[in-house]
Amino acid sequence: MEEKFDCIIVGGGIAGLSAAMTLAKADARFLLIERGEFCGAKNVSGGVLWGSDLARLVPDYWQDEGGFERFVSHRRLTFTDEQSAFSVDFKSDHFKETPYTGVTVLRAVFDEWLAGKVQQAIDASAHPDESFLATDILVEEVVQEEGRVTGIRAGDEVFHADCVIIAEGVNNLLTRQIGLEKEYVPGDHVAVGVKEVLKLDEARLADRFQLDGRSGLTNEFVGACSEGVEGGGFLYTNRDSISLGLVLGMNDLRDKGKTPYDVLNSFKEHPAVADMIRDAETVEYSAHVVSTGDIKGMPSEIYADGVMIAGEAAHLLLNAGKAIQGMDYAMRSGILAAETVVEAKKASDFSAAMLGNYRKALESSYVLQDMKSFQEAVHLLHRQEMFSTVPNLICDFGRQFFTIDSKPTPKASAMMRAAIKRHASYWDLVKLGLKGAKAL
Amino acid sequence: MTVAERLGLVNYRNQGRSDSRAHIEVDTDICNSTCPHKCTTRVCPAKCYTLDEQGNVHFQFEDCIECGTCLYACDQGAVTWRFPHPEEGRGVNWTLG
Repeated sequence: MEEKFDCIIVGGGIAGLSAAMTLAKADARFLLIERGEFCGAKNVSGGVLWGSDLARLVPDYWQDEGGFERFVSHRRLTFTDEQSAFSVDFKSDHFKETPYTGVTVLRAVFDEWLAGKVQQAIDASAHPDESFLATDILVEEVVQEEGRVTGIRAGDEVFHADCVIIAEGVNNLLTRQIGLEKEYVPGDHVAVGVKEVLKLDEARLADRFQLDGRSGLTNEFVGACSEGVEGGGFLYTNRDSISLGLVLGMNDLRDKGKTPYDVLNSFKEHPAVADMIRDAETVEYSAHVVSTGDIKGMPSEIYADGVMIAGEAAHLLLNAGKAIQGMDYAMRSGILAAETVVEAKKASDFSAAMLGNYRKALESSYVLQDMKSFQEAVHLLHRQEMFSTVPNLICDFGRQFFTIDSKPTPKASAMMRAAIKRHASYWDLVKLGLKGAKAL
Repeated sequence: MTVAERLGLVNYRNQGRSDSRAHIEVDTDICNSTCPHKCTTRVCPAKCYTLDEQGNVHFQFEDCIECGTCLYACDQGAVTWRFPHPEEGRGVNWTLG
């Protein structure tokens, strides 16, 4: 192929496909290259796709049988000690309104579906035969000429484009190759995610989790479920399965000498979890590195002459205690990178100065605004107290508060004082509370 | 559930191929001489890194699920990490993901 594309997108994950959809709708000519057998074949997430951007890419997607698993109408955050679970639980019919603000997904299913939608958009565009989704091809090198990116190399073949969007995921080898990321990135700002998908008959799953139609539950866990390792657990309901897993701080896991699969076993045995996954059969085990949302983990820059970095390749992710947002950031960054390509094409200018508009757009979007304003929350969540002292204290208080044992009952404030005394000091908690109030 | 049972559920590419090309190379001489923690033997979710009775690290890429953990965890420069080649390499093919 001698032709030159407007853009080459490396990676058929959510960032890459969102960029592709945006380009197809703008009648641009592009080549998306995915190394898996199909888009999604190599991709793993927890996973909840938060936010409403999906409706921008695929209007009325909820009328489609395929794609997402369930929309989120019920959310729960659970603090655990070894025997107990104390939950903050919120369920609302507001969440049943479309566009949904969160959907659970299985990436091998969802990404393939989204790729199908992109192909439809290509077919409907002005250049249906000049844009391609190519799978089963590994991009080995980003080609640079005189300091600017001009294309990619896969095997012996070189493809040229006015610019390249790198959406290769968190294991960002190409981003490292072009020098926007250090050659070795230590584990300081990443975690290890491990997950099982457990099959459960759809009717039984709906009964067990009190679901209605395609509504779903998301449940995050902190405390004993991660055996004292920094991080937490998650349980998400899919159509006829449960995604259950843990996200564990890489360095903390290393320093504590634990293994992710043993911690996962103990998470599954926690009484609150065991009750939810009873009789469900594990059908897939997966794992992946996850960014932690520390802005220090981002590449030195996310654009250069002829190139932009989108999604988790740029370590765009946030977990500030409310939700793990990674796929929605991938989606928005992919859209914004593609919009920058469209703008650059109009101006026939793909220089770093022009592509810098991508960073500006990301800065003024919720992605980098939230990442910046919730950095303190990210750091707070990584403190040892948050997965030991705090959940233990909360569960201790819960046990006292909800126990009726035919003895004179102390006031709740006395119970709280007793719980604090057993697990922490007032002063430490006041400090933590003030930090928390400021961070959230 | 054991790691072996879990990996038994994973779909690998080129499963029948006996001579698939390794996508990760580990210089175990570094692991077994100067590395103070040998952490890959614990953090790897697919247990591709193991310790023998003498405490030496061994690596095999066949069970690798391409998660990237060792790419970040090894701070000793022992791990050379690439993505598997679609035709000649191994690597995963998720059904659900």
